[in-house]
Order: sequence, then structure tokens, then C-alpha cells
Amino acid sequence: MTASARTPLPPKPFNPTPVWLSAWIVVLWLIVRDLDLSFATLAYGVEDMAEYFGRYHAPDFSDLPHYLSLMAQTIATALWGTLVALLFAVALAPFAARNLTPSSTAYRTSREMLNFMRAMPDLLLALIFVASLGLGPLPGVLALGIHTAGFLGKFFAESLERIDSGVVEAVRASGASHSQIVMYAGWPSILREALGYTLYVMDRNVRMASVLGLVGAGGIGLALHDTLRLFKYDESAALIAVILVVLLAFDYFSTWLRGKLK
Amino acid sequence: MASISINGVEKRFDNGFHALKGVSTEIAPGSFTVILGPSGAGKSTLLRLINGLETPTRGSLAVAGKPIDHANLRAIRGEVGMVFQHFNLVDRLSVVTNVLVGRLKTRSWLGSILYLFKREDMDIAHEALDRVGLVDKSWQRADRLSGGQQQRVGIARALAQQPRVILADEPVASLDPVTSEEIMQLLREICARDRITVLVNLHQIDLAKRFADRIIGLNAGKVVFDGTPAQLDRTALARVYQREGNQDDEQLQSVLAYA
Repeated sequence: MTASARTPLPPKPFNPTPVWLSAWIVVLWLIVRDLDLSFATLAYGVEDMAEYFGRYHAPDFSDLPHYLSLMAQTIATALWGTLVALLFAVALAPFAARNLTPSSTAYRTSREMLNFMRAMPDLLLALIFVASLGLGPLPGVLALGIHTAGFLGKFFAESLERIDSGVVEAVRASGASHSQIVMYAGWPSILREALGYTLYVMDRNVRMASVLGLVGAGGIGLALHDTLRLFKYDESAALIAVILVVLLAFDYFSTWLRGKLK
Repeated sequence: MASISINGVEKRFDNGFHALKGVSTEIAPGSFTVILGPSGAGKSTLLRLINGLETPTRGSLAVAGKPIDHANLRAIRGEVGMVFQHFNLVDRLSVVTNVLVGRLKTRSWLGSILYLFKREDMDIAHEALDRVGLVDKSWQRADRLSGGQQQRVGIARALAQQPRVILADEPVASLDPVTSEEIMQLLREICARDRITVLVNLHQIDLAKRFADRIIGLNAGKVVFDGTPAQLDRTALARVYQREGNQDDEQLQSVLAYA
């Protein structure tokens, strides 16, 4: 067959990528100009920052056991927060997954609840709970639990939506009830993914719990808040060092554990 | 009484596809019926209607005299076992748990949530696995099995329901010829020994002719053939597999020459 006898190629579809890319570059440039961001001020700032950080040169570890117990409290806050999130997420996710939800009302309601929980920043929630429940780890647990329940629930729901529709149908076709479909076709299919997400959220909660102390929600952050306010740079430096080392260790640990799951 | 009765069933999907255009038939209890037809003829839709996975746009269906409606959907599904082309086992559950899915219809809410089953349910699952010859694989994960073994677990799951009817939607389409033969023999044996009505969608004309008591040909949503395997001659096959607007189909003729 000669080339001329071939069916001609249909016209090439328009590729919008270059247009979008240049539009975004223009927008970014306008933002930078509008905010008056300049590299000159940044360069001057570096000198000031160097002077400030110099004050932390001599960390004072004399109270280390106390710091470690505070760090343990922070980790406990994060773990309890993750557990609260897990309970909420497991309860809500099957309703927020399009393929498993019993009705569109349940779907919308649970989706909106998850959206709301996710939209509430945990720092803000912690402030509210500290004001209503008083200082201590409990407001931290609730703040982390509610905020990350929104994330976990969304992750779980999206994993559930990706499971093979045939499996759901097979369990449904045997005469199983809604909750039985969720328990037999739903959770077992996403168990590994769900564990991975939970570990990720736990990791994130440990990091966040150290900061939540700054607004009074217990743990090592509260101590750091106090020493910073009193300009005790040596103790602050020690606290920051403890936080960094423990967070790094935790990060490695959860990465390793998630790797094991794959 | 007919095991399955289908009365003037029409099905039009939301996207406008008219899958079934008025199908009426009765399936006798304990019979082995094969449905043939080109892809998109409405074979799967028909089976899914019998299990209440789809609802008809017009017409009605009944299983063992009980009409399928919203109120008794789960009761009907409990009496109708289903076997799928892609097996549709829960990969991460053990073989025996997959079979126990067939017993969920009898279990309480709390018991099934906690994966607790009664001794008699366990016995039924054990017997079903014995029937398909996979007792030794009971505690293996379902996705560790070969395709043919997975399909046998699928059949055991349907058997565990102790159903009146088993619907099999292209049960051998993903299997090699030897395994296909085994699966068809297994279904035939279940039909003969347990007096379970078996309804199978197939693409293999030879298997249909060898295993069926009765063959129904569907084309473009209508029954175009209904008879014994012996009656399914070349003109009947041409009617079943004819493609719309293509009366003089060369491909069809060359395929039928080997059928």
C-alpha cells in the first residue's frame, strides 16, 4: 500500500499546556511584584538571622530527663490524637465512599463532615479547646484527632472508592447487608493502604504535637514557649535539639515501617 | 413452577443504551441453560437483573415464584448464587473466608462484623470447598491461587449460599481450554446432583452445545434463538451473532465455518 492510499491522520488536537504554563508564570511574577519581595532585603536579613541564631550556641542539657518526659507526653498526645482520628475516620469513610454509601444523603453528610474537620486548622482547634478545657494534653489530643480525622477519612474513602467494583458486587450479590459489604469487600481490600495512611498521619501528628504546646496544649512545646518568653536561650536550644532528634528518629521509624508494608 | 420467570423485561440504562428490548422466558428448575450472543447483546444485563443487581425499566422477574422487588432483594440474592468472569474474590481474605461470604446472609450484624461464624456455617463452607476440591488451600490467601482455582472458590462461595439458582457470567472467559472444561463440568455436576438451576453466559459455542440442556440466543436485546443444542444449526448461529446493518458479514461466515 502506498502512502497516498492510507487513511489520512485526523488533525492533531490542540495542546493547551504551553498557554497554561505561560499564564501561570505571569501570575506568579505579578504576585512577587505585588508583595514587593526582593532578594536584596533577604540578603540583609541573613545577617540579622545569623546574629539571632548565635544566641543559641550553648544548649543547656542539665534538665534533660525532664525534657524527655515532656517529649514522651508530646508523643502520647500525638498517638491518642491519631487513635481518635482513626475511630472517626473508620466510622465515616464507608459512608463517604461513592461505591459503598447507602444513600446520597449519607454520602453528602459524611463528606461535608470530613471536609469541615479537615478545614479546621489544628492550631485553631487547640486554641479553642485550651480556652474551654484548660491547659494540658487533652485539648491537644482533641485538636489533632478532629483535624486529622478529616484527612484520614478522606484518604480511606478514596481508597475504598478505588477497590474493584466486581468484588463489591460479588459480596452484594450473595445477599450481604451494607455493613457486611463494608467489612468483607471494603476494609480487607484497603488494609495495607489504610495502615500506610495512618502511619503517615501519626508521623505528622508527632510533629504537630510539639508545636501545639506553644498554644498551651501540653507537652514539650509548652516548655519551649516558656523558655523562649523568658529569653532562656540555652534551655530553649536544648529543647529544640531534643525535639529535632526525636522527630527525626520518629520520621525514620515510620518511613521504615511504611516501607515494610509495601 | 418455573425456577426463573422473566416477563417482558426491558432495560434502558441512564446513558440511553437499550440493553434489553422485551425478553420473556421461563427457566425450568434444575435445568442447565446457556445464553449465547455477541458482546453487548444484553447477556450480562439479563443475569444481573435476575439477581437484582439491576432493576428493569419495564417488565418483571421472579425467582421460584417470588417477584424480585426492592423489599425482598436481599432474600432473593441469598437464593441466587453468582459466579463471575473475573472471579471477584476478596484478594486479601483466606479462601475459606471468601467461601463464608456466601453465609453472610444468615449472620447477625455484630457476628459478621467481627468475622465470627457458627460451626454449621463453617461446615457448609468446608463441604463447598470439598465439592470443588480445594480443602487443602482453605487458609491460603485467595490471590495466591491460579485462575482456575480462584474460579472454583467463586463456585464454592455460590454453593455455600445453598442457592436455588446459580448464575455464571462468562465463567470461563479468562481461563485456558482445559480449565474451562473442568469449570463447566463442575457447574454441570452441581446442576445434576443438587438440582440447582444453572444459567451460564458463554462465548464458546462448542462448550454451550456440549453442556447445555437448552440454549438461548440473544442479539441486540432480543431473544433470537431458543432451543436444544441440536437445533442450533448454522443459520440459527448466524442469527445469534449477526451484527447490526451488516447482513453479508464475511467475518461471521468464516467464524461459523469453524463452529
